[in-house]
Amino acid sequence: MSDNPKCPLFCGMSGKDLSPRARYRCMRNSLLIVMLAITLIPLSITSGLNFIQYQQLLREDSQANARWNAESARATISAYLEKLQAAITVVIDSYTFEDLSDPQRLDQVFKRLKKEHQGLVDLSVIGQDGIQSAYIGPYQLAGKDYSDSLWFHKALSRRIYVSEVITGFRNVPHFVVATCKKDMHSGKYWILRASIDTETLDHFLSLAETEALEDIFLINDSGKLQSSSRYHGVAMDDFQLTRKPKQNDILIFEEMRGDSSFYRAVSRIQNTPWLLVLDQQGAEARKIWQVFKGRLFLTLTLCFLASGGMVVWLSRFLAGKFREADETRDAILSETEHSNKLASIGRLAAGVAHEINNPLAIIGEKAGLMQDLVGMDQDFRHKEKFLDQLGSLQNAVVRARTITHRLLGFARRMETSLTLVQLNEIIQEVLSFLEKDAAYRNIHVILQLQENLPVIRADHGQLQQVFLNVINNAIDAIRNDGEIHITSRRENHKTVMVAISDTGPGIAPEVLKHIFDPFFTTKANEEKKGTGLGLSITYGIVQKMGGRIEVSSEVGVGTTFIISFPVYSEGSEGQHDEHA
Amino acid sequence: MSTRRILIVDDELDFGTTLAERLALRGFTAKAVGGAQEAVAALAADWRPDVVLLDLMMPGVDGLATLDLIKQHDPKIQVIILTGHGSTESGIIGMQRGLFDYIMKPVDIGELIVRINEAGAQ
Repeated sequence: MSDNPKCPLFCGMSGKDLSPRARYRCMRNSLLIVMLAITLIPLSITSGLNFIQYQQLLREDSQANARWNAESARATISAYLEKLQAAITVVIDSYTFEDLSDPQRLDQVFKRLKKEHQGLVDLSVIGQDGIQSAYIGPYQLAGKDYSDSLWFHKALSRRIYVSEVITGFRNVPHFVVATCKKDMHSGKYWILRASIDTETLDHFLSLAETEALEDIFLINDSGKLQSSSRYHGVAMDDFQLTRKPKQNDILIFEEMRGDSSFYRAVSRIQNTPWLLVLDQQGAEARKIWQVFKGRLFLTLTLCFLASGGMVVWLSRFLAGKFREADETRDAILSETEHSNKLASIGRLAAGVAHEINNPLAIIGEKAGLMQDLVGMDQDFRHKEKFLDQLGSLQNAVVRARTITHRLLGFARRMETSLTLVQLNEIIQEVLSFLEKDAAYRNIHVILQLQENLPVIRADHGQLQQVFLNVINNAIDAIRNDGEIHITSRRENHKTVMVAISDTGPGIAPEVLKHIFDPFFTTKANEEKKGTGLGLSITYGIVQKMGGRIEVSSEVGVGTTFIISFPVYSEGSEGQHDEHA
Repeated sequence: MSTRRILIVDDELDFGTTLAERLALRGFTAKAVGGAQEAVAALAADWRPDVVLLDLMMPGVDGLATLDLIKQHDPKIQVIILTGHGSTESGIIGMQRGLFDYIMKPVDIGELIVRINEAGAQ
């Protein structure tokens, strides 16, 4: 497995084999990811915890609600039944079997009870043999034999009895509240029975209705509905209950209907065969939960967008700053390297120049002596030819001397004598050397020199050399017919600058980047050969004086050199040096 | 005008003798020696030069020390440094010690004679 060269994460910090563009893009992405992680992960965790905690609270609240509603519904039904049981117990204790076997008496009692007890359908008196001796109600049930009915036998064995929902002889679902008593005269037991329709149960259960309530109904232990259910049918239908409570507890558990969950509360109603079943909306189905989720989502989305936007901006900003810092550092390194290169080459050049000067002097003197001797000898055979050859030799010595002296000048660029100098004056002085050459080639020099330009602290002679080199190069570049614009102005309160533009052929970019390198020349094949040191010396001088030299060029348009120097001010460094 | 006496002190004797010969052709009385000791010996031999052309970098006693020796012997003798190893510092030091001029090799004979005459006229 080799390293993945395609922009791995965090490569921006150390990916040296990437292009600068890719490296900064990686750096930006890495910053983006790290900052997004730093801001969004805690936010997400906090929101997640909040979400879970609120959900838990809502679940507990829903369960408590279900418990409370179940308790309430159970109490309502129990209260109704206890009241009815109490009423018929009072009746059976107040009358004998004979009294109530009288239909008129029974009717009076029935009417009184019906006023106070909702849902009462009929009232009857049944003897120990199971034969109904008296009946008041809407059905024709007088004389019916209940000796085979389960409820009858259960009622006989208890003081008070509430039956399951049955259909009986009338074939309509109802339940029975019966009370049993032993007749003092005959010594036989008899039963007073009240029938209540299941709609009464439905009515009392409906009192527990709330927004969060899904269903409430009664069942018996054998799984028959004892009241109507919203989802499971009507009384006497079958219903499967998975868990049942023990004794008087209220059992609450979670059930699923389709995709949504709900809480089911199941409790026994005391002294009845019934179980109350109450289905309450799950926490997730509640409106308050939906509102909470909506608000949380909205807040999170806004936070994500705001943080994301900030992070994107910040990562771009920081990557940009890194890039700027790197570029500045690279530029400084490059300048330092260039200066070091110049210094090394300067030292080398000085050494070479010194060593060459001595043999050059010997050649020059020997050739000179030969010229002298040949010149004095009137009879020398090839006198003209010899003098001509020796002249060439002397010219070559002069050329070599020019080069070694320039090399030494290049090496000596560090040695400066600083005085206060007016740039405009230097430019005028230099132009006085060059104006004849320029005029001869039909080159117009156009000056735009700012008056009262601040003085700078520099070496007068070296500054002359700087402008001589640059303007001379401009003249050489134009060759014939053109313009040189020389502008001087105060750039800001710290800097003065001189711009020298020519209408020459311009410099190609690949040449431009080497233009300040020593021994780099574009005049190698020209009549007036260059040493390749002119601009290098210029660069060194300008830098030594605390200035800057920049060049821009466009092929076919021309070249502009901008040379800037720091303005001299009282109290600036170097005051101790001699100055004018 | 009496001929000027020129003493050339240079460890490159080939250069010194050739230059002496050329100066002689131009009417000077010139003598070339290869170092400080020979120069001092020449001075001691009661051959007083008007102008000394002195190399700077020589083995043993260098040009500046030789300058001091010459000036000790006779402060009126004018000395011109003629060197291939010039530097601004050595030039300044020389000037402070009574040097007349400072010329870089190789030099045009005409230019050199101008300087010699200027020095001799002092």
